Amino acid sequence: MSYRHFMSPSHILRIEGAKRSSLDVARGRVAFVSLMIFLAYLVVAVRVMDVSLIQGEFADYHITDQMLEDVQLKQAEDDGNGVVLNVPRADIVDRNGVLLATSLETASLYADPYLIQNPADVAAALVEAMPDLVYGDVLQRLQRSGRFVWIKRNITPDEQYKILRIGSPGLAFKTEYRRFYPQGDMAAHVVGYTNVDGKGLVGLERSFDNMLGSKSDAPLKTTIDVRLQHVLTRELNKAISDFRGVGGAGVIMDVNTGEVLAASSMPDFDPHDPTSVSDKGAAFNRLSLGVYELGSTFKIFSTAAALEFAGAALDDRFDARKPIQVDRFKISDYHAEDRILSLPEVFMVSSNIGSALMGKMVGTETMERFFADLGLLSALDTELKEVGHPLVPNPWRDINTLTASYGHGIAVSPLQMVSAASSIVNGGVRVQPTFIYNENKRHDDAMNIRVVSPQTAHRMRQLLRLVVTDGTGANADVPGYRVGGKTGTAEKIVGGQYNHKKLISSFVGFFPMNEPRYAIFVMVDEPKGTRESFGYATGGWVAAPAVNRIVTSMAAVMAITPQPHMQEDSLVASLQSYINKDGLHGAVSAILNHGVVHSYEDMEQEAEGAR
Amino acid sequence: MSLLSMNAELSFKQKLLDLNWGLIFMVVLLAGVGFLSLYSAGNGDFSKWALPQFSRFCVGFVGMIIVAMIDIRYWHRLAYLIYIGGFVMLIAVEVMGHVGMGAQRWINLGFIRLQPSELMKIAVIIALARYFHLHDAGDLRRLRLLIPAALIISLPVGLVMLQPDLGTSLMIVMGGAALCFMAGVPGWIFVTGIISAIIAAFPFWHFMHDYQKQRVLTFLNPESDPLGAGYHITQSKIALGSGGFSGKGFLNGTQSHLNFLPEKQTDFIFTLWAEEWGFVGGMALLLLFSLIFIYCVWIAFRCRTRFARLLSIGLMINFALYMLINVAMVMGLIPVVGVPLPLVSYGGTSMLAALGSFGLIMSCHIHRDSKIPKI
Repeated sequence: MSYRHFMSPSHILRIEGAKRSSLDVARGRVAFVSLMIFLAYLVVAVRVMDVSLIQGEFADYHITDQMLEDVQLKQAEDDGNGVVLNVPRADIVDRNGVLLATSLETASLYADPYLIQNPADVAAALVEAMPDLVYGDVLQRLQRSGRFVWIKRNITPDEQYKILRIGSPGLAFKTEYRRFYPQGDMAAHVVGYTNVDGKGLVGLERSFDNMLGSKSDAPLKTTIDVRLQHVLTRELNKAISDFRGVGGAGVIMDVNTGEVLAASSMPDFDPHDPTSVSDKGAAFNRLSLGVYELGSTFKIFSTAAALEFAGAALDDRFDARKPIQVDRFKISDYHAEDRILSLPEVFMVSSNIGSALMGKMVGTETMERFFADLGLLSALDTELKEVGHPLVPNPWRDINTLTASYGHGIAVSPLQMVSAASSIVNGGVRVQPTFIYNENKRHDDAMNIRVVSPQTAHRMRQLLRLVVTDGTGANADVPGYRVGGKTGTAEKIVGGQYNHKKLISSFVGFFPMNEPRYAIFVMVDEPKGTRESFGYATGGWVAAPAVNRIVTSMAAVMAITPQPHMQEDSLVASLQSYINKDGLHGAVSAILNHGVVHSYEDMEQEAEGAR
Repeated sequence: MSLLSMNAELSFKQKLLDLNWGLIFMVVLLAGVGFLSLYSAGNGDFSKWALPQFSRFCVGFVGMIIVAMIDIRYWHRLAYLIYIGGFVMLIAVEVMGHVGMGAQRWINLGFIRLQPSELMKIAVIIALARYFHLHDAGDLRRLRLLIPAALIISLPVGLVMLQPDLGTSLMIVMGGAALCFMAGVPGWIFVTGIISAIIAAFPFWHFMHDYQKQRVLTFLNPESDPLGAGYHITQSKIALGSGGFSGKGFLNGTQSHLNFLPEKQTDFIFTLWAEEWGFVGGMALLLLFSLIFIYCVWIAFRCRTRFARLLSIGLMINFALYMLINVAMVMGLIPVVGVPLPLVSYGGTSMLAALGSFGLIMSCHIHRDSKIPKI
């Protein structure tokens, strides 16, 4: 026992004497700190009260059921016909007036226990009329002491009929309104849903909650077309299930007005009963809220920038023979061609190296400004509140320009990318996606902002068409409709590293390419290759066929006449000479191609020399 | 000399009887709230979050009782060793993090991922309690004697900041400073400290890079967070509000079950609880926390030695800070910092740290009359 000597009486005495005062100081301070913590508790408790009761969305309903019932009883006495509990909400309709959301008048059954003489009999009759009720529970309610008790809310007309036949004076109905979505889960993420008290929680129901709830009779008209919505949802679901993806997103948009004709995010939910969804993340809108590195679809932007700002021409050539090494980053090609590629070839075979070189030609400052002009660097400005903020390199270094040129190191929402690409394809005028049908706004050209010249826009149309006629997007081709587009395959970041097993595969398509009207985008999250796709899970195999099927169905629904076969490829005819094909074409193009050759080393040396 | 019988006066049986069964009951109740919430967070799937949490709780619970039974003098003697151990682990993750190319904050022990920075908060309090046990309030008027205390706090804070984890380093500073204050470090030091920190912030701000400024701004204003922390807070507030007075009922919280609520099993578990059990449930949980707090303050006041008193109140303040910051965060009172709700949130290290803290506090209570040498 080595400590025994410390317990000698003399030692204790010494402590007692010397430290009395300092012990008091310490106690005071402990008390002070405890008091502070306690005050903090109080602040937090007051805040809990504030958030859950005063600011509470449901405050007037949940204060207590008994309090509410008292109020309603009083109202019921004032107004013999029963009380309207929630005001009806305005309808939401699609662009052709098809109902997407409406309020149905329903009856809710309540009882006045005072007027019920034989509760056991009435309870038995009620359970017989509505077998989902529990006898004991009903009986207990009927025996309560108050003058108002809910039995069941929102009952069916059939149930109401049966209850009327019971003929008990203590049973009565109140009119209530219930939100109903005739199209079920169609466009669930756009339309959204309300809670039982008619408060919009998601989608347009949330964004326009005040307007919809203000008793106005005018329906909210959306830009959605249920026919196209159906096509999009069907084909997106097929792509996801064929390739066993975990989810996906798709949109059909008018490239000139920005009107969203169909929008889908999978998995989705039943707006009548959003809690029933077992799938995690069903409420997450992958189209506008999720931000992803989208990969090669971004080559649309870098190529347009090279044409517009860096004076690149079709006969410019890019050295894709070996990967670019910058510090610890290595940029290489997925489908390596190991040769010098012309500008159309870079776009057609989707060469990362070529696109990175274009990014270098454009320069960091111009590229960043261009991306900002396209609206890729800030959150989308649209009617939905579920919009994600893009993840943008900060600070933006030269290496970021190279990677952003092929869609890596920058994450945006798919809807944002589609809008930016549409802004180029439509002739070069910035377009914002909109979900609300507005005849006036459609013809309002005052807010036009030009992002690229009509010449560059035309070149891009040709190049996008080339991807589908000769390149990675061949599966999207629908004869007669001149589909153009770009594939995108990006690896997801899992645990801080790119994972080649987990992809985001997408295709953004446009048609008809000579005068683009519609943008169609399909994205599948984590697709797995199949036997039919030869094990590939890339955008060209997963998403391009879905876009193909969508265009086919759309053409029929919208009665779009196909173009005569002969005229189809006039767009890409002039590009053919820049494409190195085996045989005669190869020989011709070898003679024709004498444009500048860009390689990373040369450009670095040039920059070195300039310094 | 056996571990459990170092105190000559107390037999094993006496200690067992002297355990704070009231406190243990409240701790179990609090953990029970956690299991219920995690069961709900897993959509009624017990094995998803509730089961691992429950098994960790069982292990931690036994650990807590063992920690409580061990003589307080033993803990006093181990204080600096615990501190150094935690410090070494902190350096280890720093080095491993660099080797593994990326921020790494934990050490994988197989059944649990240990976050040294969480354990360091407790180690700092133990070490400070021992240091202030040696130097009473009278001694502390000499500035020279404050330097070791300042080092005990600032060394791990520096390392945690390197991780970089601003939230945890602020927590260590707050816990350490509270302990220094209670130990009797002159009041003017705290006043000057706070004032000079505010003054120093201005030139510091001026010399920071733009992207560093952006990070601080994001920390201060989550609305500008690229992942939309503002959206999360909005959802959290909708969920809390939609619970109303009596809640939506167990397993019926729409906002949390539909994944509107991010991190519902960890940082935002209070929201899930309050949505399903309403204002009544939220208040009951706060009341439970404050009862635990009062109980521990009572324990602290009964301790005879400075070490035990400072240790128990220091650990309690640390626990209370956690809880306050978490709840204030989910209700949008302060910016979102990743702080779990102790004993309730899903997570191994914070559960272990909380149960360890309560073990030590109970050890302080059982051995409240023991004399501790001034070394």
